Amino acid sequence: MTAIQLYLCLGVSLWVLGSLGLLLAKNFIRRIININISGNGVFMVMVALASREETIDPVLQALVVTGLVVAVCATAFALRLSVAYAQSKQVSER
Amino acid sequence: MNFALLSMTLPLMTALVLLFIHRRAGSVVIIASLMSLAAALAALYQVHLFGVQQMHLGGWQAPLGIRFQLTPVNSLLLVFTALVHSLVALYANYSRHSITNTTDFWPLALLLHSSLAALWLSADLFNWYVTLELLGLAAVAMVALSGPKAYRPALHYLLLSLAASLSYLLGVALIYGRYGFLDIALLADVTQADATTQAALILMTLGVMLKAAIWPLHLWLPSAHANAPTAVSALLSAVVVKGPFYILWLLWTEVAPVELAQTTGFFLAIAGIAALIWGGWCAIRTPYLKVLVAYSTVAQLGYATLALGLLLYWQQTQLLVALWLFVIAHGLAKVSMFLVAGEMQATLGSKRVTALKGATQTMPVAMFAFSVAGGSIIGLPPSGGFVAKWTLLQLTLASPIHWPWAVGILIGTLASAIYVFRVIVISFNRADPLAPDFSPDRFSHWLAMLPALMAWLMAVVSVQLIQFLGGLP
Repeated sequence: MTAIQLYLCLGVSLWVLGSLGLLLAKNFIRRIININISGNGVFMVMVALASREETIDPVLQALVVTGLVVAVCATAFALRLSVAYAQSKQVSER
Repeated sequence: MNFALLSMTLPLMTALVLLFIHRRAGSVVIIASLMSLAAALAALYQVHLFGVQQMHLGGWQAPLGIRFQLTPVNSLLLVFTALVHSLVALYANYSRHSITNTTDFWPLALLLHSSLAALWLSADLFNWYVTLELLGLAAVAMVALSGPKAYRPALHYLLLSLAASLSYLLGVALIYGRYGFLDIALLADVTQADATTQAALILMTLGVMLKAAIWPLHLWLPSAHANAPTAVSALLSAVVVKGPFYILWLLWTEVAPVELAQTTGFFLAIAGIAALIWGGWCAIRTPYLKVLVAYSTVAQLGYATLALGLLLYWQQTQLLVALWLFVIAHGLAKVSMFLVAGEMQATLGSKRVTALKGATQTMPVAMFAFSVAGGSIIGLPPSGGFVAKWTLLQLTLASPIHWPWAVGILIGTLASAIYVFRVIVISFNRADPLAPDFSPDRFSHWLAMLPALMAWLMAVVSVQLIQFLGGLP
């Protein structure tokens, strides 16, 4: 098994773990973390695919950078929404 | 092509301006949507004159650059999106019960409009990922506008939508790793039915099916759509779920090899029939009006899925006419139904279907709009829904061995007739009408009627529509 295959397998297993965690976890913070884990799995697959040859494929790396920007924005939004949800639950319990 | 780009960038620019200027946002959005509609109509006319058009962004040629294309289908979808957005903006600005006219609804609606337009124009797997994310984020933010009670459904929607995008992205990565292209026209020539391609296509399909709420991945839709503010529910049901559907269509008709497409087509057609029956059943059973309308979306998407499945299974490209006519007829009718449902809910002060007792007496215009929209949903002639269903049935009835599909379509029609008539029958119960909390807002009832009438008008121009989409010789 070469290093690239190892990274591909690790990436896919991270994606599977994160997706499973998303399905099984109840807490919203845990689910957001799970989404990020599976996202990192996908990015790892892409980076591993990019470095298969001597000259690294710039297109895939550009895609990873775009994907990271999207992931950061989406995570920030999800965190803000879950905070708002927790606050609204506290208000209704009082 | 320039007009199509204008139709996409006008809402984007206006949204950016509206982030700083809040005064008279509603009027600005109405003007921007109408201008975008005019540009989209001009683009449609250009396609009619000159045929399919291509553009390479920034002059970069494929495979490195990003390609935009303008075809009959997506120029029609551009017009449809701009039309729905203009109608909903009119409603959101002028209705007394619209809770969205003072909030962040306006810039978000414009962002949603422009990300949809970008999705229609793109022809590149990764660009679709970006537009899907933009669409999802704008849609979730709009669901959350209705306040604390919507935060939970909005979060669920966001997490599922992110998981779906990642599944799609993993598929894109595998395709790129296998072929080294992202442009669908280049991929169309080289794809082979091997294990990698198969896995990638399945991952991408699961992602877009979840986003398009195709049975059995529709479970998030009713709570998200029913909890959103009225104007937002209308937008989500009418246009947002159609975006991923467009990707699914191009993915399987252009990118996928034929033998894979045929197998998948069979399963998609089965999923379509299941959606028709299951969505219809839930709509018949639910006690809440908006949930009924939301389940009707699940069921109606079943028709589009069935048309797509049969298109792939039989490799009959003329079924694309049925597919896109369904999408447009359903979108127009559903805008009307959601606006009416929201209006009636706010006027009666109850979310239940049974609260509509005697509504034909207290709110005749609204009930009439609901029935007109319902007629197109059922597929009564001469409505847009009927034209779509007829183009689908024609091919299904052409050969006797296709009878199971025809039976499925008829069961779906029966279910939609039952849930539409369920509402209408209750509203005609005038013995003991429920008095409205407020005096009904006649003007917004007429506004809600407009899209339903347009759904029926589609039947008048049906020959031109079918010819334009390439159905008739």
